[in-house]
Amino acid sequence: MKYAFFVGCTTLGRLPGYEKATRKLCERLGVELIDMLGSSCCGTTYMESLDEVTALSLAARNICIAEEMGLNILTICNGCTETLTKANATLKQDQKQLDEVNKILKEIGREFRGTIEVKHLIRALKEDYGLDKLEKAVTNPYKNLRVATHYGCHLLRPSDVMRFDDPNTPTSMDNIIEATGAISVPYPEKMECCGGPIMGIREDVTWSIGLDKINTVKKHAETLITSCPFCYLTYERAQLMKENKPDLPIIHLPQLLGISLGLSGEDVGLSHNKIDSEFLKTKQGA
Amino acid sequence: MTEIIVNSESRVFRDSLLKNHGAERLMLCYQCGSCTNDCPVARRIQEFRPRNIARLAMYGQKERLFSKDLLWLCAGCYTCYERCPQQVHVSEIISALRQAAFLEGKIHVTIKNIVSSLPLHGYIMEIGEFENELRQDDGLPPAPEPSLSEISTIMTRTGILARVGGG
Ligand code: SF4
Ligand code: SF4
Repeated sequence: MKYAFFVGCTTLGRLPGYEKATRKLCERLGVELIDMLGSSCCGTTYMESLDEVTALSLAARNICIAEEMGLNILTICNGCTETLTKANATLKQDQKQLDEVNKILKEIGREFRGTIEVKHLIRALKEDYGLDKLEKAVTNPYKNLRVATHYGCHLLRPSDVMRFDDPNTPTSMDNIIEATGAISVPYPEKMECCGGPIMGIREDVTWSIGLDKINTVKKHAETLITSCPFCYLTYERAQLMKENKPDLPIIHLPQLLGISLGLSGEDVGLSHNKIDSEFLKTKQGA
Repeated sequence: MTEIIVNSESRVFRDSLLKNHGAERLMLCYQCGSCTNDCPVARRIQEFRPRNIARLAMYGQKERLFSKDLLWLCAGCYTCYERCPQQVHVSEIISALRQAAFLEGKIHVTIKNIVSSLPLHGYIMEIGEFENELRQDDGLPPAPEPSLSEISTIMTRTGILARVGGG
């Protein structure tokens, strides 16, 4: 297995631990990640509500790079996943939009051909790698570790575009987590947004949305597992800004997976997590 | 609640919204309120009511829709998109409204700053020497150098650069 690795702005610039954990995890699983030279921001989820052609063209430019590499894209941000998946689907279906976008891309010497797919890490693990194989790769299973999963919005919604898992009662991330021996607990409002996208518009509302979930999760689990850098930062910052004693560790999915595959805390960049997450290394059974 | 006044101007505005990709089903809204019920923002901000946004849009009430930060409060979570029994998709109506507002030069400053960053850095923030040094400490390769000229060309060609630059 081999992918063009689309890291995404926020992870590239702010979350080296997340990127490191992803790279080490894939290395351990024998999944090859190739960097995408010349790639940029996906275009942001905001762009489609400002100007659709710009949104499609910026996303398409990145997709073209992977097409030239002849590889499917692997993403680790829900926002990038949605932006790239939507553009990919639209341009594969809508000749008029395709013509317009390709006219623009021609000026930079590129052409969208519609030859690849975009997959979030969760989707790649489920559809390409396989849960059985993943379960067999787990060498250090967790024991009595109760975790809550946060899917976020754009991995699954809008569901007629994303076409992955069930938008209301998804299982893909929970199943992956259970392959590590951890227990994924049910909790209320599991599918609620983190509130991150309006952090720069009405910060107080973001913290309120974020802390409501934090407080619920604390009653059910020891940590909240995220699959998106924005969700991660929102839940981390909400606690750091608003709580005297921030104490719900937020952990990136590949960090959780990595430790169960025998990677070290340093390998998965655990010390980058601002809310102490070192406890994870002590949760192995065996 | 202020009176709704329908005139030729409001009709023209409404009809222009309906042409927008994703907003075609606006007139099928029967005001059930499912969207408002499950909206995480509506639960916390009194004046943000997705159902009311759909209603105001049906009557082409541009001024009220464009007032203050209303349109920029949507988190784009698509919960209303999934819930609407009529597939009206308020999130897409809001997107159409933002596009209309932006055509008149109205855009939230935070989002404007993000858009302006793209041709400068290729990313929503600067990822330069400092960040790359930190990346190196973790054994990570430097961030891909985005082809800034390609991004500028796209954004000039679609006209968005002039529109954010012009403010
Ligand atoms: S947009 Fe849909 S969910 Fe909202 S009030 Fe109208 S019909 Fe109901
Ligand atoms: S997409 Fe916007 S309006 Fe719809 S539920 Fe989410 S925040 Fe509310």
